[in-house]
Amino acid sequence: MKHPVAVLLVVVLVVCSALAGSPKKYGKEITLKEPTRVSAILADPEKYNGKKVLVEGAVVDVCKKRGCWIRLASDKEFESIRFKVEDGVIVFPMEAKGKTARAEGVVSVKTYSVEDLVAQGKEHAKEQGTAFDPSTVKGPKTVVQINGEGAVVK
Amino acid sequence: MYSSTGKGAEVAGSRSVRVPFKWRKWNTILHRDIGYLVVGLTLVYGISGIAVNHTADWNPSYHVEKRTMQIEPIVEEQREAIVRAALDRLGLTEDPQNTFRPDPETLQLFFEQEMYAIDLPTGKVVVEAVQPRRVLFEFNQLHLNAPKRVWTYIADLYAAALIVVAITGLFVLKGRTGITGRGAWLTAMGVLVPVLYWLYYIYLP
Repeated sequence: MKHPVAVLLVVVLVVCSALAGSPKKYGKEITLKEPTRVSAILADPEKYNGKKVLVEGAVVDVCKKRGCWIRLASDKEFESIRFKVEDGVIVFPMEAKGKTARAEGVVSVKTYSVEDLVAQGKEHAKEQGTAFDPSTVKGPKTVVQINGEGAVVK
Repeated sequence: MYSSTGKGAEVAGSRSVRVPFKWRKWNTILHRDIGYLVVGLTLVYGISGIAVNHTADWNPSYHVEKRTMQIEPIVEEQREAIVRAALDRLGLTEDPQNTFRPDPETLQLFFEQEMYAIDLPTGKVVVEAVQPRRVLFEFNQLHLNAPKRVWTYIADLYAAALIVVAITGLFVLKGRTGITGRGAWLTAMGVLVPVLYWLYYIYLP
């Protein structure tokens, strides 16, 4: 073999082009068969709190810095839900934005104080490179999110 | 350690002579060959390490470009009509991958590498284009172990190989420049850097 590096590159390119465009799996295998509507979770979060669900929807936002969360559009207008994964356990690429995801995880319902929300807002703004106005926080807020275990993005 | 085989091990007659195991020779061979093997991964982890160390200042994996446009305000009320009007006004012929309305006044259109966020009442459009940084994106994905599975074990092997390279490196040279001479001082300095910095981090404000 005269040019091992060239041969290696050709193999890598062939494998990459064969895999391009196929659905991408992240984290654990999805185990649930029946999806739950995001609107149903948001309408009655306490009913789903602590339960494992499978949701489907367009990926409308992705954590820019660490890929540690995606936001999925609800089946209902003006609603979305955050699918949060542990830092480094799953890394969502920004290319996932705009694609459709099936995502499985446990619903978490938490009520945050004003102080917590201001701190989170500042952190989120820093992460996203945007501005945050603490006066927009009017009072405690209940946040519903899915603690993600696995997802398929296509 | 002694070897009972090898050149000169067997001597004519009944006696066999044990030749000392040439550990330094094997140490150098290990250091050299494992060193060659880890060059590629060291470049990946080293370059990516510098890049991801500064995530507070920049996005090490993506180049995100934002630009604004102005179109006629969109007054349609039905979702499909809003999307159609937006595509017409933007001069886009391709259907978006997905659409989303985060609130009644905003429409987001998602394409392969661009997202249009349209403020419907004013017609102000923010276009966000995301491009993975060439080479650095792949380096960072590997460094952060995004692929998981087999890559986890490759990374473990690489880490183990680095330990072997570091330890064998101590014993490549002997004499004044080896571990009993200048090497001892340089090794001690290298060990002291993390130790002293950790003490500074723990005990000083």
